Amino acid sequence: MKCNNEAVELMHKYLDGDITKEQEQTLSQHLESCDACQRHFHELKRTITFIQSAEQIKAPANFTATVMEKLPTEKKRIKYTR
Amino acid sequence: MDEMIRERIKQVKKGDQSAFEDVVSFFQNKIYQHCYRMLGNAHEAEDIAQEAFIRAYVNIHSFDDRRKFSTWLYRIATNLTIDRIRKRKPDHYLDAEVKGTEGLNMYSQLADNGRLPEEEVEGLELQRYIQQEIIQLPPKYRSIIMLRYIEEFSLQEISEILDIPLGTVKTRIHRGREALRKKLRHV
Repeated sequence: MKCNNEAVELMHKYLDGDITKEQEQTLSQHLESCDACQRHFHELKRTITFIQSAEQIKAPANFTATVMEKLPTEKKRIKYTR
Repeated sequence: MDEMIRERIKQVKKGDQSAFEDVVSFFQNKIYQHCYRMLGNAHEAEDIAQEAFIRAYVNIHSFDDRRKFSTWLYRIATNLTIDRIRKRKPDHYLDAEVKGTEGLNMYSQLADNGRLPEEEVEGLELQRYIQQEIIQLPPKYRSIIMLRYIEEFSLQEISEILDIPLGTVKTRIHRGREALRKKLRHV
């Protein structure tokens, strides 16, 4: 198996849950014998963990109230739909 | 929660504007966060997130009740952020792909204020650093990475939100993961 094409392709299939049983076996066998791919796979999984640990961002305090104020008035909307 | 949203949408469709308040309140942090990560600044994020809810309200009759409301709402928000990014003049050329780089663009070639990643980590919290790296991904990868790993949509849902084929979503998520892997491997 060519490391930089096939193995990496299988890693991404694995991460997307698209991998077949046979492909998964091929991948794990390859990982056992190839340090570079093992590192690559580890880095990919770590990257995902990093993304998921990104800071949670909250909307400004008055967000909902501001949106509600900015909505077109009901009268106007009725006029449009009729 | 899905049931509550479905109920509120029905009421809004019947003309009850006040029912929309629960919808905004429920999705505000998610949509604001999505806009913030797409745009990279609080002012624009607030502006675009508000606009997304207003458009959802105005166009509520075109929402098909059999579908997931969140998917529809994210689609509106994502389209608005992408429009805004396109309208930013200085970024316009930055977004153009460089010949022969397969989806990488000028962003990936610019040094980040000339500082090395290692120095960045020392000065900023890790979370902020990661956020910064995500923001530097080209928008077409960034939106997918965020929808998948922060908002936790399935690849099929992402294909609906962005209105692109599933195969394209997969290609882009692979490239996005690889780009971030290269940026974050030394962290």
